[in-house]
Amino acid sequence: MQEKPQGAGDPDDESLKSDQRLADRRLFLQQSIAIAGLSFAPGNFFGGSEAFAEELPLGDAEKVKLALSVNGKKHRLSIDPRVTLLNLLREQLGLTGTKKGCDFGQCGACTVHVDGQRVLSCLSFAVMQHGRKITTIEGLADGNQLHPMQEAFIKHDGFQCGYCTPGQLMSAVACVREGQAGSEDEIREYMSGNLCRCGAYPNIVNAIMEVKNNGQKV
Amino acid sequence: MVQKDLQTEPESLDRVDGRPKVTGTATYSAEYAVGNLAHSVLITSTIAKGRIKNINAKAAEESPGVLAVISHLNSPGVPGYPPAKQPAEPAPVGTAFRVFYDELIYFNGQPVAMVVAETLEQANHAASLITIGYEIATHQTDFEANLSKSAVALSVQRSKNSPFQDYGRGNPEAFDAAEVKIEATYTIPTQHHQPMEPHAIIAVWEGEDKLTVYDKNQGVKSAQGNLAQAFKLARENVKVNAQFIGGAFGSGIRVWPHTVAAVLAAKKLKRPVKLVLGRELMFTSVGYRPYTVQKIAIGASKNGILTAMNHEGTGQTSAYEEHLERTILATRAMYACPNVFTKYRLLNLDVNTPTWMRGPGDATGMFALESALDEMAFALHIDPLEFRLQNHADTDPERNLPWSAKSLKECYELGAEKFGWKNRLPAPRSMQKDGMLVGYGMASSLYGFHRHPSKARAVFSRKGSVVVQSATMDIGPGTGTAMTRIASKILGVSPGKIRFDLGDSSLPDAPGQNGSSTIPSVGSAVHVACEALKTKLLKLASEIPGLNLQPDQMTIKNGRIFNLTDASGGISLSDVLKYHNLEQVEVTEESKSGAERDQYSMYSFGCHFIEVHVSPLTGEVRVKRVVTCADVGKIINYKTARSQSIGGIAGGIGMALMEASVMDHRFGRYITNDFVSYHIPVYADVPQIDVIYVDKPDVHVNPIGSKGLGEIAIVGVAAAIANAVFHATGKRVRDLPITVEKLI
Amino acid sequence: MKPFLYYRPKTVKDAIAAVASHPDARFIAGGTNLIDLMKRGIVSPEKLVDINHLPLKKIEQKGGFLRIGALALNSEVANHKTVLQKHPLLAQALHAGASGQLRNMATVGGNILQRTRCNYFYDTAFPCNKRTPGSGCGAWEGINRMHAIFGTNEKSGQDSCIAVHPSDMCVALLALDAVVLVTGQQGERRIPFGDFHRLPGDNPELDSNLLNNELILAVEIPDAPLTRHVHYLKVRDRASYAFALVSVAVALEIDQNNIKTARLTMGGVAHKPWRFPEAEKIMTGQPVSESVFQQAAEAAMQGGRALEHNAYKLKLGANAIVQALKTAVGKA
Repeated sequence: MQEKPQGAGDPDDESLKSDQRLADRRLFLQQSIAIAGLSFAPGNFFGGSEAFAEELPLGDAEKVKLALSVNGKKHRLSIDPRVTLLNLLREQLGLTGTKKGCDFGQCGACTVHVDGQRVLSCLSFAVMQHGRKITTIEGLADGNQLHPMQEAFIKHDGFQCGYCTPGQLMSAVACVREGQAGSEDEIREYMSGNLCRCGAYPNIVNAIMEVKNNGQKV
Repeated sequence: MVQKDLQTEPESLDRVDGRPKVTGTATYSAEYAVGNLAHSVLITSTIAKGRIKNINAKAAEESPGVLAVISHLNSPGVPGYPPAKQPAEPAPVGTAFRVFYDELIYFNGQPVAMVVAETLEQANHAASLITIGYEIATHQTDFEANLSKSAVALSVQRSKNSPFQDYGRGNPEAFDAAEVKIEATYTIPTQHHQPMEPHAIIAVWEGEDKLTVYDKNQGVKSAQGNLAQAFKLARENVKVNAQFIGGAFGSGIRVWPHTVAAVLAAKKLKRPVKLVLGRELMFTSVGYRPYTVQKIAIGASKNGILTAMNHEGTGQTSAYEEHLERTILATRAMYACPNVFTKYRLLNLDVNTPTWMRGPGDATGMFALESALDEMAFALHIDPLEFRLQNHADTDPERNLPWSAKSLKECYELGAEKFGWKNRLPAPRSMQKDGMLVGYGMASSLYGFHRHPSKARAVFSRKGSVVVQSATMDIGPGTGTAMTRIASKILGVSPGKIRFDLGDSSLPDAPGQNGSSTIPSVGSAVHVACEALKTKLLKLASEIPGLNLQPDQMTIKNGRIFNLTDASGGISLSDVLKYHNLEQVEVTEESKSGAERDQYSMYSFGCHFIEVHVSPLTGEVRVKRVVTCADVGKIINYKTARSQSIGGIAGGIGMALMEASVMDHRFGRYITNDFVSYHIPVYADVPQIDVIYVDKPDVHVNPIGSKGLGEIAIVGVAAAIANAVFHATGKRVRDLPITVEKLI
Repeated sequence: MKPFLYYRPKTVKDAIAAVASHPDARFIAGGTNLIDLMKRGIVSPEKLVDINHLPLKKIEQKGGFLRIGALALNSEVANHKTVLQKHPLLAQALHAGASGQLRNMATVGGNILQRTRCNYFYDTAFPCNKRTPGSGCGAWEGINRMHAIFGTNEKSGQDSCIAVHPSDMCVALLALDAVVLVTGQQGERRIPFGDFHRLPGDNPELDSNLLNNELILAVEIPDAPLTRHVHYLKVRDRASYAFALVSVAVALEIDQNNIKTARLTMGGVAHKPWRFPEAEKIMTGQPVSESVFQQAAEAAMQGGRALEHNAYKLKLGANAIVQALKTAVGKA
């Protein structure tokens, strides 16, 4: 599926919207319950992640609930709040295309799009992404039709070992969308958060320049 | 010997594994979907030397989800290790590190325990609950402070024919007698490979005697052998998978202790265990380019002829193992100098063992040699390139043998032309642009030729597709792409119908991916296997009556066999098999070196031309332009080769300008343990790079005339940058990396 | 990482109450530093109060000042039209920091509160007074190439800290006379930027004067004619995506080649963003010239104190000041 730019929304994704409404109502209920000094009994968790964990005892935090969309697919999950978005993708959702290079926000290999913006999935707890739309490398192509940036990476040999490549691609697409691919130097600056030890940088710069200059929708 | 149809080709193949790599479906070691997987975390020592007094793991063991805490106290034991002694005795030099073996600590960051839990979060938390008591012994980790203790390696002392014996040719007093002399000391700090994929393994036991690992390494066959030996298993009962490797640059040449630890844990728990090294562990759990100090003394005549070269190199190693590098070897072969003396020493320190890192030894040695050459050229008022040309070695001065092939002069010419070397003004600080000091620097490069016996299987199936297999690796250069190209050219089958399998220990024998040996070794095996398959197919075709195929006229193109004189005739390969009622035709062939090794001296050569800009006030160095030229014999696939050369330059930029693993010797512990403190180049550090290949087959080295490229790509780059920095600023930096404080 | 409770308030009041009601609760916004610290066990909160949904994202021009909500992302601020027009120094500083991805996550409030990048602080195997008060300063007699040249003293080794504040944005905010608006159980207060961060002194564990349970609401930048002659120069070990060795923020108001107003601040030199009033005074009223810049740079570095590995910062600092000033007036 071609990823949609920020703010475009997903018309099919009614449930997330209604989830949010549910969530709002639930929050209100939660607060009321808390004020009344009652403990919260988990019911229909979906949409009810707001204020959930508050009542959970320490050390038994596995039951924080979360709803989010990944590559257009909605997930309703119950997770340990310590799970980062990166580990959620890799270890629980089987989406291993998003890579762990450093786990400390220092390499860019874990770059994904959240609501269309490039972010580092290793420096975000999954629970903080409730209600958000995540796009990973697995969601960049439109079925068998590669995204123009993917095509350009292949054409310009913008990778060697391939490990940083998903992060590079997610960042490259964002770089063009952000309007920061105006020149080779600008691309170099705005892609510098994605390390590549094989040194594919010049080839990736060429790939991004080509996509930018072709004016293709990214 | 070389196939005509392997000559220069205009077009290149895109990477055959491009699609899985850009769609995120390429599966790396930690990513195999294995059921019932447990997650583990390594705990490492926080002292550099001493012994473990106690391990308090109670809180960890009671922590939710924890399955086991493993250490030397309860390790099921590695059957291949000798029984541990009580009390523990330090391992003699030459002993590979034994994980969870006894209470001794050899280096800071040594694996001492491991937590295995249901989830990674649980394992991580439990690991933080473990406390370890140590008895601390005095450690020595400071190379400079201990340099006087360096010595000839024990392994060299025992081996008379070791290339690391003290070497001399000509007159030992030649340096003293030289008209012009340069003497200098060059230092390279410890540097780490830091591939983007951290080392990782999933270990799966099937009963007591069958083991499968998905392990990041550079040689599935050697890993298989190592693990079989360690766990006393039949070799064929150990299966090693490593299809996609997220870079390694040498870090995966050995089987490291963490791999054994994961296998141990899986054995103890009787369930699959995954271990992914944290980035901080990538500084001590695998090797590194060793801290090396080199003294070089060069003498020359006033008219620029080298008369003496003395090169002494000392590298660091661990207290328990020796690691030797080619540091001083290039100096013997690189230039036509009659009087050359080299020494190589090791210094044992309380650190983990180094290992080969891209361009091992030669990248280190050529930084010193090519810097010194530049210093001498400056002293002589001779252009650095001219100086190198004047001292070009037409034959190998070390072995007194002809080169198998050498087009270094052509490299110099092509590189200098493309770069515009003639525009260089000789005086330092004489060139400026936009307020920046501009420097032009160059350096030569060389790398020895390595070829190991290799096998390949080639199978043509009736559907018209070809499968070629070998237990070789791809850590990034594009092995499968190059092999596909070789097979396609020989078999006349389009690349899209060829699949190349690698990274699986059950495939035909191949060496690990190191020493730029893959194309020379495995490429040759694929070549001979495909030639044999072709011969078989032609023979089968020639047996079909009525086609009138002539043995001396037959060729294959686009999956058809026909006479060169009649392109419209002939028969498709599939029909050949159909006629003979065969599902497939298969061959397995081996290829290895012969007597040519004794008749020729075999090296790759090249050079780099680099322009730097240096801020006169802040001392920041930016590499602005690079022309790199290599003579590595026949280029198999330009597109991927070019990427490898660019990668070597990027690595060289890191080596020259920013990479240093810095240790606080009071603790014997690295303070650089992440990508914030250990800098590797980013986009903004790497300009566009012009890559030139001489692309002439070396007819003596192997049937494909190709010498491999990965290592030489980085050799000499640091020197070219340092030389450019000198030209820009007048400051000669002999201690890498060239950071701002050395220039302001 | 220790298990923690997670709570997501919708109002500032609720957020403050949620943190105040638990002895070991923390706010989390972008998470780019806190999660990093939690993974290493440097901080181990038992409860996280996720403030990302609070209405603190607005960037708006009010009478006489620009108010930037604490939850405005670094990238939003850096690319905001008013910021680019009226406070280009801030935009430059923000673009010099971190990476595209991190700027999309990190908030203004979080940027102000980010912890030092001292290696001894991050590796729990080393002593560090900031992480574990009383354990000693690892860097004092260790590897201190990255460390402070201002605001340290002889006692720093035993009891204190020589780490530097890593923010780029803060260096610009200090130069722009920004004010930090905070709120807590005792109500709102306004802290001039120069008073927000603190020197380590006897409490190296504290980076700022923000009180427990206080929350940053916004940063306010007063209007000033400091738009044309500004520059943020960041000197680092590689060309991008690295913390500063030193950084310089300069802003000049120039009237007919005379310097009417001068602002000069630096990063990478002290436990807090550092301002140089003396050097500013030297430049004020003087004509634009390299020699004036030189004098200012020398005055700025007066009183700088070098350790074993960071003496270069005295010279680099002075040179960087001159370079930044020259660039700001278009004479680089």
